[in-house]
Amino acid sequence: MAGPLLESKYRAPGRRPGTVARPRLLDVLDGTLEAALTVVSAPAGFGKSTLLAEWLAAVPASTAAVAWVSLDERDDDPTRFWTYVVTAVRAATGVGGSALGLLTSAPSSIESTLVAVLNDVGASSRDVVLVLDDVHLVTSPEVHEGIAFLLEHRPPQLHLVLATRVDPPLPLARWRARGELVEVRAADLRFTEQESATYLNGPMGLALSGHDVATLDRRAEGWIAALQLAALSMRGRDDVGAFIAGFAGDDRHVVDYLAEEVLARLPDATRDFLLETSVLERLTGPLCDAVTGRDDGRGTLVALERANLFLVPLDDRRQWYRYHHLFADVLRAHLTDERAQTIPELHRRASAWLADTGDVPAAVDHALAGGHVDRAADLMERAMPTMRRERREAELVRWARSMPDEVVRVRPVLGMAFAGALAQASQFDTVEQRLADVERAVGPAGGAWPAQPPPGLVVVDEEGYRSVPAGLELYRAALALRRADLGATSAHAQQALSLTPAADDLTRAAAGALGGLASWARGDLARAEAAYVESLAGLHRAGFVADVLGCCIALGDIRRTLGRLGDAERLHRWALALTDPVAPVRGTADMHVALAGVLLERDDLTGAAEHLDASRRLGEHRGLPQNPYRSRVVQARLLEARGDLDGALALLDEAERVHDTDYSPDVAPVPAVRARLRLRRGELRDAEAWARDRRLTADDETTYLREYEHLTLARVLLARRDDAGPGAAAGLLARLEAAAEQGARSGSLIEVLVLRALVAQARRDVPSALDALRRAVTLAEPEGFVRVVADEGPPIAALLRALPRHDPAHAHGRRLLAAVVGAPAPRTLVDPLSDRELDVLRLLGSDLGGPEIARELSVSLNTVRTHTKSIYAKLGVTSRRAAVHRAHDLGVLPRVR
Amino acid sequence: MSSSGPQRYEIRVRGHLAPRWAPWFDGMALVPQDDGTTVIDGPVADQSALHGLLRTIGDLGVPLVSVTATDADAPTHPSRRTP
Repeated sequence: MAGPLLESKYRAPGRRPGTVARPRLLDVLDGTLEAALTVVSAPAGFGKSTLLAEWLAAVPASTAAVAWVSLDERDDDPTRFWTYVVTAVRAATGVGGSALGLLTSAPSSIESTLVAVLNDVGASSRDVVLVLDDVHLVTSPEVHEGIAFLLEHRPPQLHLVLATRVDPPLPLARWRARGELVEVRAADLRFTEQESATYLNGPMGLALSGHDVATLDRRAEGWIAALQLAALSMRGRDDVGAFIAGFAGDDRHVVDYLAEEVLARLPDATRDFLLETSVLERLTGPLCDAVTGRDDGRGTLVALERANLFLVPLDDRRQWYRYHHLFADVLRAHLTDERAQTIPELHRRASAWLADTGDVPAAVDHALAGGHVDRAADLMERAMPTMRRERREAELVRWARSMPDEVVRVRPVLGMAFAGALAQASQFDTVEQRLADVERAVGPAGGAWPAQPPPGLVVVDEEGYRSVPAGLELYRAALALRRADLGATSAHAQQALSLTPAADDLTRAAAGALGGLASWARGDLARAEAAYVESLAGLHRAGFVADVLGCCIALGDIRRTLGRLGDAERLHRWALALTDPVAPVRGTADMHVALAGVLLERDDLTGAAEHLDASRRLGEHRGLPQNPYRSRVVQARLLEARGDLDGALALLDEAERVHDTDYSPDVAPVPAVRARLRLRRGELRDAEAWARDRRLTADDETTYLREYEHLTLARVLLARRDDAGPGAAAGLLARLEAAAEQGARSGSLIEVLVLRALVAQARRDVPSALDALRRAVTLAEPEGFVRVVADEGPPIAALLRALPRHDPAHAHGRRLLAAVVGAPAPRTLVDPLSDRELDVLRLLGSDLGGPEIARELSVSLNTVRTHTKSIYAKLGVTSRRAAVHRAHDLGVLPRVR
Repeated sequence: MSSSGPQRYEIRVRGHLAPRWAPWFDGMALVPQDDGTTVIDGPVADQSALHGLLRTIGDLGVPLVSVTATDADAPTHPSRRTP
């Protein structure tokens, strides 16, 4: 968030009275509506803004909407800059509002926001002229990159106009070569002699001869600000000719000469007012009163504007003004020259008024400009809770970098807040040092923090002082996570939680999420789950929706692994309901993808496809950093479930290119996902190459972070069809099973058991295979897991068919069977085998003789013979051996090697 | 030219600048010349300081004539330097 917005910054100025008509320039500007970019580039005082306001007033509203932003130095903060731009576009067109949701929900992404704005403008029926006035005041490369991005991706409806004193760092030559650039430069803007005459003898009310006008125009070189100053100097003068001669014969800089003339002729009270208020960037009556100690601020401003004294109104209601830049510089030079010692006090007064009215950043700037460093530090410390809540990290980072170290060292609350802001902004270079400084300053003896700040320290926010110990632990946890020290992350996060007051939702949420992340990576999913639930609740109470959604990605994954598919689904549906459908925050797309993943696991392919579409429609800019890769993996799995293995492979390759886990543990690495697909495609060599590449062996220690890879390795071993494979896989799976059971990871356990069943089957141990499968199906049923079983294809289908009808797992097993792709369905038999016949057939595949089979099934030998005849008939065979063979071919019986 | 340490510059602008502008140029001398230009002369910390100076000149609307790097040790206008 960029803090409160000044409406005057995004309102297009109206036409100014007393402007000279300049049809030659208006004609040039008409080209703006055909061009991508218009650059009006000239030094101060050349009438850039006036000309643009004049031209825009003549553009019919039905042709184009006009969005105007008056920039200042503080717009170097990209979030602030684009918030103003989007607000201006929205105020002008009514569209683009959805992008504001992206900026105001942290973590904000500028590019995401721009895409949203461009989409909205591109869908609009009217053209949009976006004017950035005084764009030279913005120097941050991030903002310049954003402007370049806007230009590169602009829809034809968008026309960008930059008014600037220096050419912007953009590839202007490229736009010029394409005929997409309109330029108005100083040479064009200079008043011609004719224009000078019109101006001086018209609005300025002089009656000069042609010769006088020519002399003035030559001396001022058509510079409008100079001509205006000259006109002000001449008004009411009897000796205009002498003035002009004196001016023409002087070597002084035109503005120096003329400003002095103008200032010398003003009443003392007006001159004092101008000098004292020149310290202000923006002027309004009460603020001027606070600075001057008088009570005529508003009246004086109105009078100055009427007298054309370089006062630029910033809104229609004449509430806020600024001095013309050039004139402000002259006034400040005079102020510094004549009464430098009063300047700190003027800034102090301005700072006090601004702080009282709530503009803390401007109050801080004035305190710093006046040399009141401690006052600035006090203001910062008091504003910190609000700034943090409003996520104004860029401003905080600017503060942290501007405040001298020796001031911060005796201010533990401020030091902690700066460390936090820098960590939030991923600028970790000084965080460790700042934390150490805070700790050293407070000096907790024997681990106990002094209840009152030790003498010598400055604390203005006492509440803040109490949360310093928790902050210290919190940011140490963040630093530990950054260097992948999970043990230290957990320990510091735990400490932070125990030190944070119950009411401090944000600190608790941050500590909870850090601890959760560490527990997750270490395989303690139950603990991670609890931490994330707590963290999520805090973020929800604090209203940080995008952060809530970010937490839900992790929590959903964790719940699935814990076997709680239903809880994961409810979580994602709840999270989706939190987002505003008109202005969805970042993370909305991620929730659709997560839901698609859950539905896919349930074999609801249609539902999964719908949510993937919803995510795509929202656009990648509504996704958090993980979404590009996660959405492709889910899409790949959907294609795979539909039998499009080539499409799935291409998507996984893409997923690998855009892979970004955003600090989350990489629990299902894309190359491992692809190795599984390779196996399904029969490309064993590729899968083996992957396992070699990852240095995986069946004897590895099994950690949770490698669980997915080890389960993939088990499949590779199984697919080898050699003698050693199944044995090695069996040992690995036994250890994975123990680990999953110990960690209560039912989701993992289902997968382990499915693989154990296949391994047992490969080792001709049908009873063990069925036993493992029965356990897997029993675990899968209540939460509706399907694909984890069905994805194993025909081998698992054969085993599923072998589950006896009286088996408790039989019913869900049938449902799983229906989801297997490419399984030759038993209905390929004209007359399908009955369950009893299947029981007999299974035993025919063993070494048992007829009487033993009868005993096994508790039926008479005759009954067995009847079933056997029926089986032969249905399978079209005449021998026991042929029946078993045929049954294998048809997938009716599990294949035994 | 050495890339580290201050380098002396002589910046020439059109018109005579009043001495009150000196604080804008961080300790450099403003030396009015007979040809109607002003030479702003002195050490400049580094390249970004130089760009800052040029920007100030632009902001004041003073036409820039030339920028010359001079020897860091020898004063350029020993006879005319203001103290």
